[in-house]
Formats: sequence, structure tokens, C-alpha cells
Amino acid sequence: MLRIKNGHVIDPRNGINEKMDIFIKNGSIVTESDCQTSNDKVIDANGKLVVAGGIDLHAHIAAKKVTSGRAMRPEEFRRVRQKTGKFRAAMGRTLLTSPAIGYEYAKMGYTTAIDPATPPLYTIHTHEELDSIPIIDKGTLPLFANWHLVFKYVAENDIERLGSLISWALERMKGYGVKLVNPGGVESWMYGKNVHQIDDQIPGFEVTVREVISSLMKANENLNLPHSIHIHCNNLGEPGNYTTTLDTLKLAGKLTNERRQVLHVTHVQFNSFSGSGWKDMGSGTEEIIKFVNKSDNVTIDMGQIIFGHATTMTSDAPFQFDLHKLVHNKWVNLDVELETGAGVVPLVYRPSTTVHSVMWAIGLEYGLLVDPDKNAVSTDYPNGGPFERYPYIMTLLLSKKFRDEEMKKAHSYIEKATILPSIDVERTLEDIIRMSRSSPARILGLNNKGHLGVGADADIAIYDINPADYSSNDYRSLLNALSRPYYTIKNGVVVSKEGEIVDSPWGKTMWVDASAKTTTEIIEPELREYFNYYTVERANYGIEEEWLRNPARIEVN
Amino acid sequence: MLIIRPKVDLEVNVDMEITPELVKSDIETVNDFTLYYGKYEVPLNELFEVESREDESNNKKIVLEGDFSRVKWVGKGMFDGEILIKGNIGADCGAYMKGGRIVIEGNADDWLGAEMDGGEIIVKGNVENCLACPYWGNTEGMKGGKIIVEGNAGSYIGEKMMGGEIEIRGNARDFIGTEMKNGLIVIKGNCGITGGDMKGGEIRIGGKFEIVPSFRKVEEGYMGDTNVKGKGIITSIK
Repeated sequence: MLRIKNGHVIDPRNGINEKMDIFIKNGSIVTESDCQTSNDKVIDANGKLVVAGGIDLHAHIAAKKVTSGRAMRPEEFRRVRQKTGKFRAAMGRTLLTSPAIGYEYAKMGYTTAIDPATPPLYTIHTHEELDSIPIIDKGTLPLFANWHLVFKYVAENDIERLGSLISWALERMKGYGVKLVNPGGVESWMYGKNVHQIDDQIPGFEVTVREVISSLMKANENLNLPHSIHIHCNNLGEPGNYTTTLDTLKLAGKLTNERRQVLHVTHVQFNSFSGSGWKDMGSGTEEIIKFVNKSDNVTIDMGQIIFGHATTMTSDAPFQFDLHKLVHNKWVNLDVELETGAGVVPLVYRPSTTVHSVMWAIGLEYGLLVDPDKNAVSTDYPNGGPFERYPYIMTLLLSKKFRDEEMKKAHSYIEKATILPSIDVERTLEDIIRMSRSSPARILGLNNKGHLGVGADADIAIYDINPADYSSNDYRSLLNALSRPYYTIKNGVVVSKEGEIVDSPWGKTMWVDASAKTTTEIIEPELREYFNYYTVERANYGIEEEWLRNPARIEVN
Repeated sequence: MLIIRPKVDLEVNVDMEITPELVKSDIETVNDFTLYYGKYEVPLNELFEVESREDESNNKKIVLEGDFSRVKWVGKGMFDGEILIKGNIGADCGAYMKGGRIVIEGNADDWLGAEMDGGEIIVKGNVENCLACPYWGNTEGMKGGKIIVEGNAGSYIGEKMMGGEIEIRGNARDFIGTEMKNGLIVIKGNCGITGGDMKGGEIRIGGKFEIVPSFRKVEEGYMGDTNVKGKGIITSIK
């Protein structure tokens, strides 16, 4: 039992922004009367900010391409963060080893992270890696949008069977939601091609990209899964691609869900370029921001880039090939034998490069102008940069002065190509808490996370910031305080204290069971046919719950 | 001038990241200098004995006397002064070196002068593999300085070389100047496969050598590698 007393609690979901005590029992938040006061451990949070643990809804923390990225980048692992001792060794510059991921999240006040892309056939590997990440709760989203069986049901416009396939696949993969990466484009990549508009036809199938996205969205809503479809749009990283993103967002149409959005466009920064080529590339955020702000059924996450080293790794294999040709860096092409594809290319974001400066500005435009309830902080780790720099992004949003300082380092081209220099908005602490806690929890459909109401998981971060008395001009202390939480508490256990790991419990792996909403019997004939020709026997396809270290089944009903 | 001699027979490798700057420290600091002996951190005087001797030239100079073939990282990142090794030396000697001089009277192990950027290394004996190469994953090898090997060399010499000069007076094995961009490699004896994916720079070879098929014959010798639109030159010297 633990009580956190006198802290200033900001909990946007429950409308709390005041001094109050928090009581913890058996890993959950309880009322004062449920807590015996005699033998409580007490943390005095006087003059400090108490918030829910951070939630990262999009970080490539596991899966085959992360391992391939590590294998191809030995130069990333010359930085030793922690030697063995009480805890496991942790290494990595921007690309981290599995233990380092857990420790660095905890040190930053984050307690949940979702791996956004796992190839279905190789999800067993993803879970092995997730099981090696200490402290945080995690989940993984299997890839659907380039899967032959999906195309078959989309072509037949059979939403019921498509839903049944999703439910079956999530159960087999122990997945959390439905991820779409460059729908149709990765299938085209098997023939060395790509798709460019959402009305393009996918080679070999009588379906368009539009149909794939719409059908998966409808099937996802029929099942009423906790999370909506999570989409990485077509044309990522191409100048002028903001129109494709806008077209994709409009597919949400009039479909609604009372709990959450129906379409989540991820790392939207990479999909918001205007211009006809790299020479006149600029920010294409204006229409997207307007559209997201006026729609209740779509959400985004920033996909902010951080200047410095990064490793791009996406399931968007054709994009990774184009990037490899553009920057002449080493390249891995993989997963094409699975239900998807993937690529890995190392990259350095340089403030002296016009394109990188514009990308940096685009992410911040989203952070500053999109409703914080429809937005989440992300770097698409490790694509945009290390997740450890979230405090840096938050400080940029909080302090105009810091932003001006950092803008001086970027290329002056951003003055004509983006609107960032003209934005005077300073986000409040509450906005930042929304974008890193309550909003990602709502987007992901995690009811017990992202807030501090009674019954919520006791995932808590205490920062050395006094919300009643802080100055956005003093950005150095803000950045320090956000980077090194006073305490990070995971399920009622203090895991990190002033930037040092003090305990290392194992978090849960959340997965969604939608079997109550549908039956797999209706897709039996197709599954039987499919496995006649497949790489593995059906009995060997998928993961059993008892193989996971600490599974948490979330039942949909 | 410091003279360092081994006190014990080393059972495993020792990481000894000393540079001639150590001469400026007093003898206690030198004795306490941290080494990694296998997985243990030990002070220098547990494994080696140190003698400090007045030197009329007053140069920053370290002399290693005895068998140092299990001692790694000597002269890492040094930028001034001299290290004289009277015997064999272990791997990674002179890595990241920026200036000064290393003279090895015996043989050297792998990764001699890896990623070096200046200074001079002279080896009287033979060297092993990965001479002046970039460490795995890095994109730039040797950038400047000079390495002279009077004996033979192993495989992988001057990979991804960006500048500087390597001279081998004996023979070498395979993979000379792979992905080389600039600089000069001279091999007086024979060697194996040469110049794969070479983009620029020059390789001069005295004896027999093998060349990949994507080089074309030009007046001075061979130019390539055409696979990467390279303009590297390989010539034969008599």
C-alpha cells in the first residue's frame, strides 16, 4: 500500500487539476477509505506534479525488423548505458537493446508502449522480444493491409468474414489491434512496384487501396475492438503526399464510435509534405490540421523527428528501398516472404538539411495546432529518433522561447516552407499530459490507463514541477524535470527514482480476444485452403497464451 | 619517459588505453591507471611494473618492453608523443589515433590503426587482419596519417579508406582497399583480391594480385569499380 500525498494532480480525463492525495492498493488506485493508514508507505509530493504513467502508442520496440536493425547497425551498440549488477545490461545509442527499452521508458515516466507492426507469421519472435522488455506494459499490432486473405474478403465485400479473420488472427497472434502499412503498396513491392493513390488497384487483386482501408475499418468497428484501425498511409516520405493523407482521413466518413476514433493515422508528420519534389518540399499540414480538428472520428500522432541519429524501420518495404536509393546508406529488405514486407535504413537527421528541418517543423505544427485530445506525442521510434527525447518535444511545445532557440539551429528554409515560425501557441502542462497520457489511452482503448481515477492501474509519474508556479521561459528546468521524473511507479511499485532504476518488475502483454463477437467457423474453408499452400502447418501458426510471460487478455463484448 | 614491463603472465586480454599524455602524470597516477583484465578492473601496477626515467629530449614517450601480445587498445586516440613497443602488441593498437608516432619492433595483431586520422605507425614485423579498417558498421575507415609495415599483412587492409597512406613491404592477403574512397595503399609484395567496390583513391602493387572483373583497363592500370561507378586506380609497380 502506498499513498502519494500533497501532490498537484493533473488528470484531464477526470477533470482534475488540483492538490490531492492518491491511494494505491494491490496495483490499483483506490479511495482513501480502502487504504489502511497505519502501515502505508508515504511519498511526499508537495510542490510536485503527479500524473498517470506515460503511454507510447507507436514505438517499434520489438519485431523482426528491430532485430535486423540491431544486426545491421553494430555501431549503435558502443554506448553502454548500464552494466550488469542488480539489473540487466543495457546498451544502445538510439537503437536500444530490449532491457534498455524498458529501463529508459521507466526513467522517463512512461509505463506503457505498443509495438505497432508485427508480421503475423513472425509474431512469435515479437512476443519473445516483448517478453524481454522489463517494467512496462506492452502490446503489438499485427499487420493486415497486405495480406492475401484480407484482399480476398475485401474483393468479395464480405465484412463479416473479414471481421472473423481479424478476430482469428488477433487470437492467434496475441495481438492488440489492426495495423495497416501502405495498404496494397507492400503487396505491389513483391513485384517491385508501389501504389500511389488510394484509388490505385492492387496488382493481382480486383481491389483498390480505398476498399482495403474502408473494409478493414468497417470490420474493426463491427467487432468494436478497443483500438481503431491504425494506419501508416500510402506515399509516406514523398513530396506532395499530404493529399493522400487527407484522402485517407476522409475515408472515416460518417462512421463513429462513442468511445474513440474510428481511424488513427500514425506518424502523420512523414505524410504531410507539400510540393512537387525535394526542391520545393514544404509543410502540407494546414488542411490536415483543419480536418482533424473538426472531425470527431479521427486521431493522429505526431511522428516528430529529432535531429541526430535514427534508424528508419517500417513495414513499408517500397518506401525503404526509395530511401536507400536517396541516402545511399545500407539497407535491409525483409519479411517479404510473410504477409507483409519491411525495410531498414539508417539515417541522420541534420538541421542543415532543408528537408529535415521542414520535417522537424511539421511535427511541431501538429503538436501546437491539433486538439491535444486527438493527438499523441511520438517519434515513431526509432524512425524519427529516440523515444527518450519525448521530454524535449514536450518542452518545445511548452516553451515558445525554447522553440525559438531550437529554430535558430534549423535551416532558414523553414521560414518560407512552414508556418512554425509564426505560431505563438504555448501548450499548457495539462495539454502535454493529454498528449502523452489521456489521449493515447483513449485512442488505444485502454480504460485503466492514462488517468488516476479510482480503479485505474497505479501507473504514476511524479515530476519535480509545480504546476501552480512554473515559467515556460525557464525551459532548462522544465526539460530537466520532464527528463528525470522524481518517481515512476508501475502497478504500485516504485520502479525509478530521480532517473535511477530501483526495481524491475515484469509488465503485462495485452492482447484482444474478440471471439465473443464472431465465429471462426465461417472462414474455415478459406483457412483450410490457405494452409494447404502455406509456409507452416496450421497447428504451428500462432502463439499460445501460456507461452507469454505475463499475458493480459482483454475481452471484447 | 615511462618504461612499462609485464609482471605476470597474462591469462586473458587486457584493455590498456594508454597514450603518451600519461607521461605528464606523477608515478602514483600511472600506477593507479585503470585497466580491464578480463571482466575485472585492476590498477596498472597489479599487472605491470612502471619505471619513470628522466629523458634529456623531454619528449612524451612510453616504452613497452616484453610481450604485450595480449594487451589491447594501446595508444587509442593519441594525438602527440611517441609509443615504442619492444615486442609484439595486441589488437586495436593506435585506433582512432590523431597524431604522434607508434613504433612496433615485433608483430601487431588485428585492427592496427583502425579509423586513424593522423600520425604515424611503423611495424618492423608482421600485422594481422583489418589494418586501418573502420569498426563494424562505421562508414569511414582511415582518414589520414601513415602506416608502414615492413613484414607481411593479413586480410582486409584500408577498407572504406578516406585518406592517408598505407605501405606494406611484404605480402598481403585478400580484400585490399574494399570500398576505398581516397588515399593510397602500396603493397610491395603479392596480394589477393583487390579493390572491390572501390570508389576512388589508388592502390599500387609490386607483385602478383587478383582483380575483380568489374574493373576496366586504362592507361595507368585498372579503373573501377564500375559496379559503383568508382574511379579508383590500381597500378602495378616494378
